Amino acid sequence: MRNRKPFPILLIVIIIALILLAAVAIIVVSRADLSRSKIPVLYQLPDFELTDQSGQPFGLSRMLGKISIVDFIFTNCKGPCPIMASKMSELYLLYKDYDHIQFVSISVDPERDTLEALREYAILQGVNDDRWVFLRGPLDDVVRLSEQGFKLAADVETLPMGHTIVWTLVDQDGRIRSYHNGTDDADIDVLKENIRRLNREIR
Amino acid sequence: MRFRLLSLAATAATYFLIFVGGLVRVSGAGLGCPDWPKCFGRWIPPVRIEQIPPEIDPALFNFTLAWIEYINRLIGVGVGFLILSVALYAIFRFRHRPKILFPAILAVVLTAFQGWQGGKVVASELEPMLVSVHMAIAFLIVSLLIYVTHQAYHLDGAKTTLAVEYPAGITKWAGIMWLLIIIQVIAGTHVRGSIEIMSRRFPLLNPAELLAEIGAVSYFHSLLGIIIALVAMAMGVIVIKDSRDFSSIAIQCAWALAGLGFFQIIFGMVLFLFGNPPVIQVLHLWIAALLSGIALLFFLTLKKGSKT
Repeated sequence: MRNRKPFPILLIVIIIALILLAAVAIIVVSRADLSRSKIPVLYQLPDFELTDQSGQPFGLSRMLGKISIVDFIFTNCKGPCPIMASKMSELYLLYKDYDHIQFVSISVDPERDTLEALREYAILQGVNDDRWVFLRGPLDDVVRLSEQGFKLAADVETLPMGHTIVWTLVDQDGRIRSYHNGTDDADIDVLKENIRRLNREIR
Repeated sequence: MRFRLLSLAATAATYFLIFVGGLVRVSGAGLGCPDWPKCFGRWIPPVRIEQIPPEIDPALFNFTLAWIEYINRLIGVGVGFLILSVALYAIFRFRHRPKILFPAILAVVLTAFQGWQGGKVVASELEPMLVSVHMAIAFLIVSLLIYVTHQAYHLDGAKTTLAVEYPAGITKWAGIMWLLIIIQVIAGTHVRGSIEIMSRRFPLLNPAELLAEIGAVSYFHSLLGIIIALVAMAMGVIVIKDSRDFSSIAIQCAWALAGLGFFQIIFGMVLFLFGNPPVIQVLHLWIAALLSGIALLFFLTLKKGSKT
């Protein structure tokens, strides 16, 4: 008499265990990778004093507790600026539900960029709240802030045309965390990832 | 509680611990706690940076990695007590059965040694050789537990196991297979260690190119893997087809050896082709541990059967 062939229960149990352990391994390994990929702290921003488009003073204190994406602009710019401005608008829309993520555009052409001109420019970009501010101040102050604060070159001879196209990510403590090319979609994806991670640091 | 169930539980728990240990390695959490046995000078790892004692550099602290490493230690202590209870049970109940008593005592001694050796691994900042020794001891402990469990089952089921006859040579083949798997594990460890060393010497090569650069050992490991899987499947077919003559444990082992051998080759190929993804690495190692244990159990079962 032939015995009934036994069901491969051991193999089945092991395969189920393998699937469960694979899930655990995926979670643990990705958590470990995430914990290692902290964005470095580059420089502490000094205090500064500029004015936003509605005439209110804007300094470092208005960046504390928030994640800020900072760029340098001038409203008459023809070169790469329209591309950068439209990329910035996309981000501004993307983060519309998050008050603690703000956009800061600093004019390098204060002579033409009056408060009135900045207000018009803001409307042109579709700005309807205070998550995106446009700043102006004496050119010397802006140049000093760019060079000494943001560590980005700003040559008075070539301004405003020669302004930087680099975006700076500033954290909740007013520290520079990363630089990005505002015309490069791949680099903007990195910026979004960094914003996600910074957001986790805040929570 | 019956001894054989306790012993089986200790074996299963040790397999889980081997998985956790592998996970510590591939997630890079081995130095999550820079000290031993405490973690950052505390019995419960710190959750805030302020809790780190002044003599330890706070830059070393990573909450996630510290807890991954510490959970490995905690589970290790738990499994250690389970193995200790197996040994104590054996001392009280099976004092006159040296085939149960001695392996059980050796297992608990090795487990204590393993804990201490784990501390040395941390102190050496994960010296590859010491990491491999740590793994080898784990394999040895689990083999001893399987031996004890097998003996315990034979003890209880001695009267119910029928005298079965196995085809000549199959026991010998099962023994050869177990030896091949042990050689294969050693070769695999060597491949892993070589990748670590080579990646420092040739920073421009990707993991697949590194494997090609390692040459002989990695080809040997691949070839032997295929041979083992084929032998396992052939033995599986013989045993499963002719199951009238075999105990059900032998058939379970045959299924598992053939099935896991197949998985192991697939995972080995994925490692080779996709640059050592960490999750696959830990599964590859865990299946290796299972294969060596099941091959041992298969051999013991056939050997026992052929004597009666």
